[in-house]
Amino acid sequence: MERYSILRGLFFFAIGIFVFSCDLEVDPRQTTRTSEVLNSPANLESALNSVYGRLRSLNHYGRDMIALSDALADVGRATNNSGRLVAENNNAVNAHFSAGFWQNGYAAITELNLILDQLEKGVNGANEDQIAAWEGEAKFLRALYLFDLVKVYSYIPTAVFQSGIVDQGGIPMPLIAVKIADIAQLNQLPRSTLAQNYSQIIRDLGDAINLLENNQRSAPQYASSAAAAALLSRVALYNGNWQAALSAANAALSSDVGQLLSGENYLSGWKSSVHPESMFEVRIQLPSESLGVNTSLQSTFSTMLQVTNKNIRGGWGDLIPSPIVLNFFGLSALQLGNPATDNNNWDVRRNQDIRARLYTTGNDQRFSRRQIECIKFLGKNGFDYGDNIPVIRKSEMLLNKAEALYHLGRETEALNELNAFKSLRGIGPVSLTRQLLLDEILLERFKEFVFEGQRFFDLKRYGRNIDKRSYLGSNALVDFEDFRILAPIPQREVQLNRNLNQNRGY
Amino acid sequence: MKIFLSLSTCLLLLSTIPVFAQSRIVRGQVFSKKDNQPISGASIILKGTTVGTASDLYGRYVLQVNLDEFTLVYSYIGHQTEEVFFGVENTMDVYLSPLQEAIEEEVEVEKVLAKEEEVEDPEIILQKDGARTKSPGDLIENIPYQSFDRTLQGRVPGLSVKAASGIPGGAINARIRGVGSIYAGNEPLYVVDGVLINNVSYSIFTQSNPLAFLNPNEIESVEVLKDAASTAIYGNQGANGVIIITTRKGKPGKARIELNAYAGETIPIKFLDLLDGPEWYAMRRDAFKNSDATNPEARALSNMGVLPDNWNQLSPAQLDELGLNLPTYDWQRQMMRKSMMHNYELSASGGGKTTLYYISGSYHYSGSSFPPVDFERGTLRASLSQSIKERVRLEANVNLASIDQAVPFSTEGSFIGSPAFAASTILRHNPIFNEDGSFNTQIGGLAGQNIALVNEFNSGQTSTRSGGGNFIVNWKIASNLNYKGLAGVDYRDLEEFRFRDPRTPDGQEVNGRNGVGNYSVKRYMTNHTLDWTKKIDKSLISAYIGYEFLTEEREGLSSEATGITTPSFNNLLPGSTLVSSDTVWAGYKRQGAFIGLNYQLAEKYLFHLGSRVDGSSRFGSNFRYGIFPFVKLGWNLAKEDFLIASGKVSDLRLRASWGLAGNDQIGDFRALGMYGPGNTYAGGTGIRPISFDNPNLRWETNETINLGLDFGFITGKISGSIDVFQRKTKDLILNIPVLWINRADQFLRNVGGLENRGIEFEINTINMERGIFSWYSSFNFSYIQNKVTSLYDGLQVDPDNPRWAVGMPVGNPAFPGQLAPGSWYVAEYAGVNPATGRPMWYDANRNLTYLPTDADRVYFGSNFPPYFGGFNNVIKIKSFELTTFFTYEYGAVVSDGQYNFLRENGTRFTFNSLHEVNDRAWRVPGDMTDIPRNFALNSGNAARNQNRNFGSASLLKADFIRLAQVNIAYNFSSEFLQNIGLSQARIYAQGINLWTISDYPGYDPEFMGVGTGQIPVHKSYNIGIQLSF
Repeated sequence: MERYSILRGLFFFAIGIFVFSCDLEVDPRQTTRTSEVLNSPANLESALNSVYGRLRSLNHYGRDMIALSDALADVGRATNNSGRLVAENNNAVNAHFSAGFWQNGYAAITELNLILDQLEKGVNGANEDQIAAWEGEAKFLRALYLFDLVKVYSYIPTAVFQSGIVDQGGIPMPLIAVKIADIAQLNQLPRSTLAQNYSQIIRDLGDAINLLENNQRSAPQYASSAAAAALLSRVALYNGNWQAALSAANAALSSDVGQLLSGENYLSGWKSSVHPESMFEVRIQLPSESLGVNTSLQSTFSTMLQVTNKNIRGGWGDLIPSPIVLNFFGLSALQLGNPATDNNNWDVRRNQDIRARLYTTGNDQRFSRRQIECIKFLGKNGFDYGDNIPVIRKSEMLLNKAEALYHLGRETEALNELNAFKSLRGIGPVSLTRQLLLDEILLERFKEFVFEGQRFFDLKRYGRNIDKRSYLGSNALVDFEDFRILAPIPQREVQLNRNLNQNRGY
Repeated sequence: MKIFLSLSTCLLLLSTIPVFAQSRIVRGQVFSKKDNQPISGASIILKGTTVGTASDLYGRYVLQVNLDEFTLVYSYIGHQTEEVFFGVENTMDVYLSPLQEAIEEEVEVEKVLAKEEEVEDPEIILQKDGARTKSPGDLIENIPYQSFDRTLQGRVPGLSVKAASGIPGGAINARIRGVGSIYAGNEPLYVVDGVLINNVSYSIFTQSNPLAFLNPNEIESVEVLKDAASTAIYGNQGANGVIIITTRKGKPGKARIELNAYAGETIPIKFLDLLDGPEWYAMRRDAFKNSDATNPEARALSNMGVLPDNWNQLSPAQLDELGLNLPTYDWQRQMMRKSMMHNYELSASGGGKTTLYYISGSYHYSGSSFPPVDFERGTLRASLSQSIKERVRLEANVNLASIDQAVPFSTEGSFIGSPAFAASTILRHNPIFNEDGSFNTQIGGLAGQNIALVNEFNSGQTSTRSGGGNFIVNWKIASNLNYKGLAGVDYRDLEEFRFRDPRTPDGQEVNGRNGVGNYSVKRYMTNHTLDWTKKIDKSLISAYIGYEFLTEEREGLSSEATGITTPSFNNLLPGSTLVSSDTVWAGYKRQGAFIGLNYQLAEKYLFHLGSRVDGSSRFGSNFRYGIFPFVKLGWNLAKEDFLIASGKVSDLRLRASWGLAGNDQIGDFRALGMYGPGNTYAGGTGIRPISFDNPNLRWETNETINLGLDFGFITGKISGSIDVFQRKTKDLILNIPVLWINRADQFLRNVGGLENRGIEFEINTINMERGIFSWYSSFNFSYIQNKVTSLYDGLQVDPDNPRWAVGMPVGNPAFPGQLAPGSWYVAEYAGVNPATGRPMWYDANRNLTYLPTDADRVYFGSNFPPYFGGFNNVIKIKSFELTTFFTYEYGAVVSDGQYNFLRENGTRFTFNSLHEVNDRAWRVPGDMTDIPRNFALNSGNAARNQNRNFGSASLLKADFIRLAQVNIAYNFSSEFLQNIGLSQARIYAQGINLWTISDYPGYDPEFMGVGTGQIPVHKSYNIGIQLSF
């Protein structure tokens, strides 16, 4: 009897344990596991949105790729209204693309690697066209981020300064999806070579051009086949693949994404929310997505909230056109009426170049008083400090084409392209050859892309000095040989990664 | 699953063990209610027979009874006889109530001692074999604290307890044997009647201590388990020690009704000695003079907001006269006041052979130094135990509590609207009220709000509704095989609101601001054990096996709105504009199985071995389960012949133990790779990865070696114990950096090591027992040395936080969920330059510098006191009883945010200053002091100094000795009571925290956290009465 009851007790006890003992998994409800999250069309698109959204960051197109690079080059002059971009404008050591640019760019690339990894496995409920389009978008974005990182932290293949330098290679290039912490910690990638970086970028763009042919998501705020071709054209120029640059530019030009504008249309293009020339632009759709009164592009370039009433003080106007730019367009301040204290009584004298009308005088309530400002970004999205940011405009393709033709030895065609472009901007033709022709093409590029973040890299890819002596004093010359041409790699990354060498001089 | 297969194999093995005769071994301890001391020589007789035994020197008894159910009669001279019915329970501690016949008692004591020596065949008793301290609930009875954790301060060696602030029912910081973790939490495990309790506050607006759900007077006993060998049975969380609470239960016998009430008041311990209006003016004027500023008088008046418009027509002398005749108002006494405290309890208990019951209700209210901060609680409690047939007993315990805490603008932080911040920083020339009695709103100085107005108009409340309890099945499967199953619930719901009135500066701009929050914690657990005991000759073997499962879910909702339409209604009205709205959800599960074997030979040699296997959902998939084995050895030397022969030593036991215990307090979901909200784009939502999969994240393990010695002398006048321990934290979790090229910053990994070593000492003495006079003392002392033993990658200093360094203490985190702060790592302050009055520090080469850099930092100890303890004295004269209890702490180094603001002496902000600081300030060349000269303009040499509070200048020693409790009680004589139908009556007067010996310059050395704007600990007086029918 006793024995029986002991056995019975143990039996029930054992049963009890089996009933209660259970799986210890607990799922979070406000976040989702990495292992399963991307396996749905809606989540996959949301994951891509995050990467698009990173382009909006202060460290990327939100400001630095546009304004900081122009401050480094000879496009802008810092006003010291808020103190921002002054050190960068003076090319002070370490005043360069910041650690955040590196961090944000690589975070985007690793997010894309996770997306590409999922696409390879398939997405539940998505058809092949969708998967192809997403892969195209992801590859376009990966190419864009890699390209932006490599052009900031490394020399550009067309002009590599090498004298006596150990490592001036490319940048680390993580291309594999990393989900596990221990692997991430061990993943101490060295620099790839420049050639490896560029061939990866070109490969991604080539894939994107094909994959994006049937993309349902609309350009220019999402990647398109045409945008990939346009970016490829720019990348090929940087890489010295002149033929590839030419054919990609032609492909981009023949697409229906973006229009070529001239005359008044060109001006109104800069006043519309979505720039008609945009082949790819970063969308700022909500006030919460704007960088606001301190660091948005509008605030950086202008002290005004609107050009119709210059007396309302807006942003900081931290970076204004340099005297070189003022000179392009014959800009000087002009008082229209009285009293002089009324900002609306002021405008500028300007030449016949249609682009001269993108400049006017601003508000006088900041430290540097009334200055001539660029008004490309002026809150066009219906709220203050909200401007979509064109990354590639179709006009660039004309200039890319001229430049590529020049290098292919087809100077006449190059000259024709240049003069055709000039006529779109309301200025007369030139007749030049050889180096003078190339210089003129690059000058036109300078004029066209003032405050669009091209100039610093155009100087860099031709090995040219940054010369601001005309307005910042006799020391304001950064030779191409100077280490300040390259940005410092974040110190943390160099310290933690035994395979990574810091750039020279830092 | 694997472990459960092996577990069931063990079960099968066990089932082959032969069955034994039907007899029961019951055991327990007999105490006197008079002084909570064990009674030796109490007789324990099986009712209706002559079978029985006597309790030993420690009040312990063991009796073998060949019956299924029986009643034992406990009697002792001078005490009322108690009858206890035994159904399924095999252990029973009994408290005998004294009769008031002191003289007779003394005689009997001697008799009993004689009797003790005659005992030939000592019964086998389960010996103490680990580092554990048990105290009966009576010791902490009627101490007017809101939660039992605070009452343990200074009472238990190895357990450091500190109130985080003076908020009644606020957070209490309890650390058993030091700080053993940086990232994984340091909270002890609280077990109330077998239910593991969640002790995290979760309140957004104040500190709401979850342990306040239990009226401390409902506690029968508190047991603190310290070494890993003792806590191993609790496996998870056991790493930080375990505090086991047993609540009062019904006892057999006639119904007993108890009424307990006390009332009193809370009083601020200290008012700071602040400058008055003219003094502040003079101080500030001189500061401007020292800075060679023009118009120092006008500038000082301007700082105070009282510069007349025509000031430039007045001479410096006239301005001076104005400043030196400014009025002074006592803002501190306006804000810090006495408050009420009262407590009422009623309980009924009793039972018969099959049913035991205990029901009670209580109400408690306590204010604080800073009204309206208060605490109001009502509790209902029921405990029911029912025997069914012969072998089964069912038991249920239910505790319901409702708590309301009033919340001012803020209970912490340097907010000008925070009463405890502004009361001392506001400049005192500002009137509190206008002449018509309305609040003055023109306040000069940076603390530019009328804090009395802010406090009056704002409102807020945190309400806690908690329900907890258990259902227990005891099933005697065979005479020596018991099953116990427990299902428990710990439920808590917090509802909070906070209102910024539009009439206050913070509510004005937005026309009122309303914050509302709701948070609920649901915890369910179950625990099943099988327990087998066998006596063979002189040895006792017992074995047990068990399983435990726990699941917890927490969810919260909070929102904030502005634009409140009807301010006079103040609370909970929806605002017109929703500012924010947020939800949270988290949860986790744990399960564990344990097995143990206990063997005692001839009461001399003890051997206890066991292990627990635990899994927690918080860890990575590869290492979810941890194994925590333990071994305990004991040698009772007192039972050896040579010591028995000496006749002097009654107790001498050596204990040694080794064990592992685990810690999973890392927060939920830390091992999961997850996607969370990311950037929105072009009208679409965004998600992004926020963490890596961390499958190798595993238990942080504490390995404790404990050596202990218990001693007692035959005279019974001295007893005590000493424990030496080494508690090593292995697999210490630290944040490991990840390259940005791999996306995230860092992740948690088990890499480092930490060590706590210490000694604990406790001694209890009977100093005198003569006639009507007796005097008992108990003293305890703990020393704990805490240090980091390793980080990762051979690093000596953690790059994330250089305050964590190898060889240095790791500091004590103030609240659950915070990281251990590390040691102080700052430049050493060298006082002021006697020639110039500028502050100086030592640089790395011990040279003096005005501008120390990061490289000049050195380590300065931590906020955890290495030395602490308590000293209790009970003196009885006839029916009077005097208890005095001191606690002490030594060696903690703290930085007190509130004092730091005052120490600036108005140089950075126009805040008030302390006499103590201002009087010490450097004035003339040659002055040797630590307070720099008063300076007003941040230019010249002054600008080339570090801030005067920089480095170790702001570190304070938080040493103190405190008279934590003094109590004078009178017990009425039983003859008198019987005439009026009472069985017991006691009246008493009590004071709490009456006297603090400390040279601490701030409000109070007892606080946790930054110290800024915190409600300081208060003192209190109360009188009370206890009646039993």
